[in-house]
Amino acid sequence: MIIAQQKPIKDIAEMIADCKKVLLVGCAGCVTVCLAGGEKETEILAAALRIMRRLQDNPLETVTYVATRQCDPEYIATMDNLVKDVDAIISLACGVGVQYIAERYHDKWVVPALDTKFIGGSKVHGVWEEKCGLCGDCVLHRTGGICPIIRCSKSILNGPCGGSQYGKCEISKDVDCAWQLIYDRMKALGRLDKLMEIQPPKDWSKSRDGGPRKAIREDVMIG
Amino acid sequence: MSAEKTGSVLVVGAGIAGIQASLDLAESGYYVYLVEGSPAIGGTMPMLDKTFPTNDCSMCILSPKLVECGRHLNIKTYTCADVVDVQGEPGNFTVTIRQRPRYVDVDKCKGCGECAEACPIDVPSEFDQGIGERKAIYKPYAQAFPNAYVIDKENCIECGACEEACQAGAIDHSMEEETIELKVGAVVLCPGFEKFDASKLAYYGYGRYPNVLTSLEFERILSASGPFQGHLVRPYDKKEPRRIAWIQCVGSRNCRVEHGYCSSVCCMYAIKEAVIAREHSKEPLEITIFYMDMRTYGKGFEKYYERARNEQGVRFIRSRTYEISEVEDESKNLRIRYAQEDGSICEEEFDLVVLSIGLEPSSSIKELGRKLGLTMNEYGFAEPAPLTGVGTNKPGIFVAGAFSGPKDIPETVMQASAAAGASASLLAEARGTLVKEKEFPPEKDVSGQPPRIGVFVCHCGVNIGGVVKVPEVVEMAKNLPNVVYAGEYLYACSQDSQAAMKQIIEEYDLNRVVVASCSPRTHKPLFQETVREAGLNRALFEMANIRDQCSWVHMHEPEKATEKAKDLVKMVVAKAALLEPIPQVSAGVTKVALVIGGGVSGMTSALSLADLGYRVHLVEKEQQLGGVARRIKQGLKGEDIPSFLSDLIARVTTHPNIQVHVGTEVQAVAGYVGNFVTTLTDGQEVQHGVAIIAIGGEEYKPTEYLYGESDRVFTQLELEEALAGGDPRIENARTFVLIQCVGSREPQRPYCSRVCCAKSVKLALKLKEKNPAVNVFVLYRDIRTYGFLEDYYLEARRKGVVFIRYDSANKPLVEKGDSALKVTVTDHVLGVPVVIDADVIGLASAIVAPESNRQLSQLFKVPLNEDGFFLEAHMKLRPVDFTSEGIFMAGLAHGPKNLEENIAQAKAAAGRASTILGKDQLESHGVVAVVQQDKCAACLTCVRLCPYNAPKIRNYAAEIEPLLCQGCGTCAGECPNKAITLQGYKDRMQMAMSRALFREV
Amino acid sequence: MQYVPNIRIVEMPCSGTIDHRVLLQAFEDGADGVFVAGCMEGDCHFQKGNYRARKRVNAVKKLLDEIGLGGERLEMYNLSAAMGPRFAEIANEMTERVRRLGPSPLKKQSAGTMEKEGDVA
Repeated sequence: MIIAQQKPIKDIAEMIADCKKVLLVGCAGCVTVCLAGGEKETEILAAALRIMRRLQDNPLETVTYVATRQCDPEYIATMDNLVKDVDAIISLACGVGVQYIAERYHDKWVVPALDTKFIGGSKVHGVWEEKCGLCGDCVLHRTGGICPIIRCSKSILNGPCGGSQYGKCEISKDVDCAWQLIYDRMKALGRLDKLMEIQPPKDWSKSRDGGPRKAIREDVMIG
Repeated sequence: MSAEKTGSVLVVGAGIAGIQASLDLAESGYYVYLVEGSPAIGGTMPMLDKTFPTNDCSMCILSPKLVECGRHLNIKTYTCADVVDVQGEPGNFTVTIRQRPRYVDVDKCKGCGECAEACPIDVPSEFDQGIGERKAIYKPYAQAFPNAYVIDKENCIECGACEEACQAGAIDHSMEEETIELKVGAVVLCPGFEKFDASKLAYYGYGRYPNVLTSLEFERILSASGPFQGHLVRPYDKKEPRRIAWIQCVGSRNCRVEHGYCSSVCCMYAIKEAVIAREHSKEPLEITIFYMDMRTYGKGFEKYYERARNEQGVRFIRSRTYEISEVEDESKNLRIRYAQEDGSICEEEFDLVVLSIGLEPSSSIKELGRKLGLTMNEYGFAEPAPLTGVGTNKPGIFVAGAFSGPKDIPETVMQASAAAGASASLLAEARGTLVKEKEFPPEKDVSGQPPRIGVFVCHCGVNIGGVVKVPEVVEMAKNLPNVVYAGEYLYACSQDSQAAMKQIIEEYDLNRVVVASCSPRTHKPLFQETVREAGLNRALFEMANIRDQCSWVHMHEPEKATEKAKDLVKMVVAKAALLEPIPQVSAGVTKVALVIGGGVSGMTSALSLADLGYRVHLVEKEQQLGGVARRIKQGLKGEDIPSFLSDLIARVTTHPNIQVHVGTEVQAVAGYVGNFVTTLTDGQEVQHGVAIIAIGGEEYKPTEYLYGESDRVFTQLELEEALAGGDPRIENARTFVLIQCVGSREPQRPYCSRVCCAKSVKLALKLKEKNPAVNVFVLYRDIRTYGFLEDYYLEARRKGVVFIRYDSANKPLVEKGDSALKVTVTDHVLGVPVVIDADVIGLASAIVAPESNRQLSQLFKVPLNEDGFFLEAHMKLRPVDFTSEGIFMAGLAHGPKNLEENIAQAKAAAGRASTILGKDQLESHGVVAVVQQDKCAACLTCVRLCPYNAPKIRNYAAEIEPLLCQGCGTCAGECPNKAITLQGYKDRMQMAMSRALFREV
Repeated sequence: MQYVPNIRIVEMPCSGTIDHRVLLQAFEDGADGVFVAGCMEGDCHFQKGNYRARKRVNAVKKLLDEIGLGGERLEMYNLSAAMGPRFAEIANEMTERVRRLGPSPLKKQSAGTMEKEGDVA
C-alpha cells in the first residue's frame, strides 16, 4: 500500500490561513490502513484546526467526509454537494487523491494534509517499511524475492558493494545489505547459479525517468 | 445409593476460595448455599493492599467477583452463620446452620452509613487489624457484600441513635438467632486460616513494643483504604519510618510452638510489602528482610525476588533472629539481635519491625473438622485424601484453600475450582435440577421512537439529599431535552421505589431511564433488572453518580455540589437520548471437550469432565498414556505412583465418554468458545466446546556436573528409576551427593522448578531408609520445602542427611577422581572448601516447558510467558484460564508443580470448563464492540490490539466475535476509520455529554 | 475525603476506550482541563487498555502543544478503584494546574465563569 504521514499541523493551517470554511476529505483506502487519513484522523485534524483558529480569534468552520477512495473519480464525485460553499479542500489522501480532487473542482483551493512517503508494508503495528521502488520492470524473480532497487541503498543490480559488512549496509548498522539477504536466500533455495546468469542492463525506460507513466489494459477498458 | 442426588452444594467460608467455588458451581448448574461466619463475604483478600507477583491491587481484582457472587441468582449467601451439623451421605446431606442475629435487616439496609455516623461507640476495627476504628454498628469494608451494616452487640449500648438515624427502618434490635436446615448433595469446606498470634513469641516483643507490627497490620497501613490512606507511617507516632525490617518465619518452621510447617506465602508477601513500602515512601527507605531460606518457588516469584534484591534495593540477610529489644528513648525504635550464617552475632536498629506471621487453622475450623470426622494433620489442617487434590476421607466433602494447608491466592483459587469440579462430577445426574432462571416479559420495540426519558433522582436518605438540593436537580431535569418525567426518591433502590419506577415507565411510556444516585458498580445491575421487568432493554438505562462522585466528596459545599449534580444529570440525559437497545448475542455450545496431553493432568481433567457426562477427546502424541509420571515411583507423601497411574489409565481408557487418540497431535484449530473445530494429525476432525491444554513438561538435560560424561551422575528422575530398579551403581554406593538448582534459578532459566527440593529430600530419606549407613549430602541454595513438606526436611536432618548451602557465584565443583567423583563445595558455616568423594551424584534438574507449547500457543493463539510456559488470564484469580475464552490449562505446561498440585489444577481446569459446557447457550458479556463493515478498511488494527482474539478479518472486513469480546473498547478507540463502536459507550455519546455539560439549559 | 467540586466525570468501561476526538471535543466545548483516570499500569482488567490510553493522551498532549492550547491542560493518571484519596489528590492537583494556566481561551462567553474540568474514568 501507499504509506503517508500527516504534515505538521502548522503547515496545514498555513495553507488555509485565508479560508473561513474548509472541507476535510479522508480516504478509506491505503491511508486509512496506514493510520494517516481515515475518519479518525480526518476528524482529529478538523478539531485541531478549529481550536487553533479559535485561539487566533479567527474561527474556522469545518466539514468532514471520507471518500471510499480518492483515486477513482466516481468516489470524488460523491462529495460534489459538500464542496459548493467551502473555501478550500484539505485532502488526507496520497498525492493522487489531492490531484483528483483538484482536477474535478478546478475553482477550489485544494491542499494536501499528508506527505506521501513510499510503497511499503507494515512490519509491526505502527512501523512501516519501504519495499518497492516502482521501477516498472520487476526483478524479484531473479533476486530471491528481495528488491535490490529499493532495499540496496545504491540500487545496485549485480551484487554487493564494498560497503557491505557483516551483512549490514555501510549507511547504518540497522540496515541490512540487500545483496547479503539475496545471496543468503538464493543459497537457501539452492539457486545460487541463478545469480551467475548474465543480465542485460536494466531497462530504466519503464521507470519514471521517462515522465509520468500510464498502465493500460485494453481487455478491461469499457467502450 | 438409594435416594436421588441433590443438585445443590454447601460452600463453607466465603473468602476467595468460597467465592470461586460458589461461582463455578452456580455457573455449572448447581444451586449453592454459601455460609460465612463474618458479616460479609471476601475473607482475607480485601484486607491486602497489593498482591504478588504482579502487584495488582487486591480489592480491585476481587471486587467484581464480590458483586457477581453477591448478585448471583443461584448463590444463596448466609453471613454471620456457622455450620453446626452435617448428616447424611454423599449426594444427600442435611446441613444445619446457625445464623446469628445481625440486628439490621439486610433487605432494607441501603448501606448508606447514616447509622454509623450517629453511633457514639468507637471500637477497634477488625478489618484494619485494630489500627483504625469502627463504630458499634458497622460495615466491615466499603465494598462489602451484603452492602449492609451489622450491630456488634458486645459493644452496643442500645442508645437508639442508629435506629433514629436510619431512614430505611432497617434496624431491629430484637432479632434472634435462627437455625436453618439445608439439603445439599456435596460440601466444599474453605473456611480459610487464622493468623499466628505473634505475642506467643515473647522475644519479638509484639504487643509490648508499639513499633513491632504484624505483616497484616502493615498491609493495612499500606492500603489506600486503610487507617492512614496508604501513607506509610508508624501507628505509634505517625512518623514515616526510614528503616524497616521484616522477620520471616514468625510462627512457621518452629517446632517449639508446634508450628513445624512452612506457611508458604510469607517470603513472597514480605518482599511485596517491602517493595510497595518503598514505592509509598517519599523519603529513601532502608529495607531489610531477615530470613532462613528464601522460598520464592511459585510462578514468577523468583524473578520478583531477584528484582527486589538487584533493582529495588531490598537487603536480604540470611540469619536467625534472637530477639528484639526497644531503644530506651522517645523514638521507641527497635534493636534486632541476630546471628549470621557464619555464626557471628550482630545488632541493628530499625524504626519499624514487621513480623511475617504464619498461617494456622482457627480453633473453630478444627472443631468443625472434628465434628465432620475429617482426618486432620498434626497441626490441625485438613488432610486431603492422597492424590485427589481436594478430596477428604469423607466422600462428598471436599476441601479448598488454606484449610488444607497454607497456600497463596492462585493455588487457593485453583483448588476452589477443583473442589467445585469434583462436587459437580459427584452430582452430575442432579445438575440443573435446582437452579433458577429469571423470567422477564418480552422486550418492547423502541426502535424509531423519539427518546422519552425518565429521570429518577435519589436522596439516599440524607447521603445525597443532605448536601445536594435534590428538588432543584429534579426541576432542572424536567427542562432537559427529551425528558418527559423527573421525580425524587428517598431511596431509589428500595422495593417501593422500584415498583413505582416500573409503573412510571408504563404511565409515561418511557423508553430511556436515568437514575441519579450512587455507584453503577453496585447498583446498575439492580436498576437494569427493574427496567427489564418493565419491558425495556437493559441498555436503555443509564446512571449518574451524584453520591460517591458528588455529595460525599463535596459535603461542605452544598451550592457547588448541587451545580455539579445538575451537570452530571445533564450529561447523562444527553447520553441517554443516544442509547440503543443491545441485543444479547447467544450461540449454542458443543458439549464436548478436547483435552490435549495424556499425562496425569490431562487424564484427570478428562475423567472429571467425562464423569460430568460430557464427551471428551483425549489427545496424546506418544503411543501410550501416562506422561512424565511413568518415571515417578513414589509421590512426595510416599504414594505408590505406578499403581495410581495404571488405575488412572484404566479408568480413562474404559470410560464410555472418553475417546483416546494416541500418537496424535493437534494440526489446526478453528472456531471459538462453545464451538471449536480442531483437526488432528491423523486427519480426524473434532468438534468441541472447550479445550484443556495439559501437555506436561520436560526434564532439563544438564550440561553441568559431568552429566553425560560419568555414568554415576543422574538426574533426579533417573536416580529414582535406578533406585527402584535396584541398579548396582546405587546399591553399592556409600556416598551420595544431591545437587539442587541444576538449570533452575539461572540467567537463562530464571525460575524455581519448585518440586526438586522436596524430591531430593525424599530421595535422601529413601536412601537412608535403605541403608542408614550411607552418607547423603544435599547441596542447595535455599531449601524450599514449603507447607508440610518442611516436616520431611526436618526428618532428613534428624536422620543425618547433611545439607550444605552453596552460592550461585560459587557452585560445587565435580571432578572425576580415582575411584569416585570428587565434589568440592564451600561450606556455608565454616567458609572453607569441603571435598566429598561421591559414588553417585543426583542432579535436581530443572523442569522446562515442552517445545510443543510454542506450537499450541500459535494454533490456539494463546500466550506463553518468557520461560515458555503458558500464561494464564490472571496470575491471581484466573490461574487455569486463558484470556481467550473456552481454553484452559493444567499441569506442567503452566509451570512446575508436584503431582498433587497438578491433579488439583487439572480438576480446576475441568471445573472451569464445565461452567461453559454446563450452558445450553453462551451469551455475550453485556456491551461488546461492533463493526460497521462498510467502513472497515481491514487494516488489522483491531486484530492486532485485541488481547482476546475477538476480531478477525472475514470477507475483507473485520468481524468481532461477541462471545469473545470483553467490552473494553480499545479497538473502538483506535479504529482509524471509526468503523468500530463500543455498545453503550460510543464516542458520539461521550461527545454529546461534553456538549451538554457546557450548554446552558 | 473531600475534593474540589469543579470536576465532571464521564464514565468509560476502560480508559482504553478513549478516542482522541472525545478529548479534543471537551476542550472545544470549553473544558479548562481534562484528565483521564485509568487503572494502575499492569493492572488493566482488560490487559492493556490503560497503556493504549496513555499513548493516545500523549499524542493529544503533543497536538495541543502544537496548536497552542497547551498539552498541560490534559493529563493521564493511573490509580486504582480503591484509591479514593489519590483521586482527590489528583483532582486538586489538576485544578491547581488549571488555575495556574488560567481559564481556557476557548471558553464560550455564555458558559459563564465557572471552571469546569472533564474527567474520564
